[in-house]
Amino acid sequence: MTRIQLILIRLLLLALVLAAWETLPRQGVINPMLLPPLGDVLKTLVEILGRPQVHEAILVTAAEVIVAFVIAVPLGALIGVALAESDYFGQIFKPLLFYVFSVPKSIFLPMFILILGIGFQQKVAYAAFSTLFVVIMSATAAVESVKPDHVLVARSYGATQLQILTRVYLPSMMPILLETLRISMIFNFTGVMIAEMYASRTGLGSLISNWGENFQLPQLFAGVILLAAVAIAFNESVRFLEHRYSAWRT
Amino acid sequence: MTQPHLTLVRDEPAHGAIEVAQLTHVYGGREGQVPALENISLSVGAGRFVVIVGPSGCGKTSLLMMMAGLRHQSSGTIEVQGAPITAPDPNRVGVVFQEASLFPWLTALDNIAFPLTLRGAPHAERQQRAEAMLNLVGLSGFGARYPHELSGGMKQRVSIARGLVQDPPVLLMDEPFAALDEQTRMTMGHELLRIWSQTAKTVVFVTHSLTEAVYLADEVLVMSARPGRIIDRIAINLPRPRSYEMMGTETFGRLRDRIWQQIRKGG
Repeated sequence: MTRIQLILIRLLLLALVLAAWETLPRQGVINPMLLPPLGDVLKTLVEILGRPQVHEAILVTAAEVIVAFVIAVPLGALIGVALAESDYFGQIFKPLLFYVFSVPKSIFLPMFILILGIGFQQKVAYAAFSTLFVVIMSATAAVESVKPDHVLVARSYGATQLQILTRVYLPSMMPILLETLRISMIFNFTGVMIAEMYASRTGLGSLISNWGENFQLPQLFAGVILLAAVAIAFNESVRFLEHRYSAWRT
Repeated sequence: MTQPHLTLVRDEPAHGAIEVAQLTHVYGGREGQVPALENISLSVGAGRFVVIVGPSGCGKTSLLMMMAGLRHQSSGTIEVQGAPITAPDPNRVGVVFQEASLFPWLTALDNIAFPLTLRGAPHAERQQRAEAMLNLVGLSGFGARYPHELSGGMKQRVSIARGLVQDPPVLLMDEPFAALDEQTRMTMGHELLRIWSQTAKTVVFVTHSLTEAVYLADEVLVMSARPGRIIDRIAINLPRPRSYEMMGTETFGRLRDRIWQQIRKGG
């Protein structure tokens, strides 16, 4: 099957789903109260995108996501590299981290609210916390993917420590690092959404949660489409980079 | 242009290109001190092809790594081109490793140019030197391929080219063909001799294969089992250029047998 054929089939499937979304509720096959037709949802999407209240929510959520990302990724990468490079710390902390990693982070949410309230800080702290562990794990795996043979080759040609870092470690780790970036964004976004839906006065999560509780389904689905579009756009752009930097990994 | 380990090289070494004197190495392991290499002295003349053979674990790879400045001996000295080796010096020594150890994210050409990149050589020079080496090892036209697109033999050719790109007088090779199939191995041995005769390098070559040792060497050094000592030095007086037909001759067989006897005694 050629690439174009594959893309055509995917587009066809998408069109089918969207067409079903539009027609089935209109025909009454699905209750339009539970699943409003696509056309109505899109109209609502355009309408809510004009509301100042929604603009503010988007800005708040975006700020939370970005700040949490900027905290969690470098911090997690630093801890992960330290664990991988130091046998001592690795042996002590790695099992403990695996335990915490396996626990659903959402059960700690009430504690974050008790300590930090329900504002911006709490959202950021919780999202960063729920992302941190996956970054640590991946960063450790990235360091461990560096082959000692490659380091030896570089040393034999007189590489300095800095050159070993930039010319061996970094390119070896690049595919896993980009993957980490992508996955941590998913965790991070999820963290912010959960925190906002659980208890919040602003943000997209809080809007979506309200629309759901008030049975405003066209608004709810419009919110879902908006969020999905943003998440997919980020994910795909990092995946594009990942593909470019890991062509050699076969 | 920064040179991390710049060493003044004498025009004419007073003695051999490589001089190892009373080298001993002891590992500090869990079960105490393990002697690995014992009182090794050897001299390799400039332009000579010397092969080291010995049983697994005799320390021949360690010895080679010490000559490359990648490991430190407990005592004794190693001089290359008349100056001691204490750290890797790509101007004096090129190394070819067991598994070609190419960087999978670089093309064949960029792999070859890697040592030049490390010392910040200008792009044009890198390109030109790497292309020349690519031709030398018989891989013209394959420069843009990535390692995973090359066969095992081709990878080792790239690895040899990388070892030669800075034009060091000495080339150290650690079982470079061990992972190749028999036929490729024979071809690569032959190719290596061609490259060696074209470049006039001093080569120290470690191997398990006795046939390979006799076929390639001017001189074979036989090491004993741990602690590794040199128990025999055998001059291989077969004429050059060597040919596959020589392997069937009586002289070839006798030389191989002698090495085998020594290894059995020493093991």
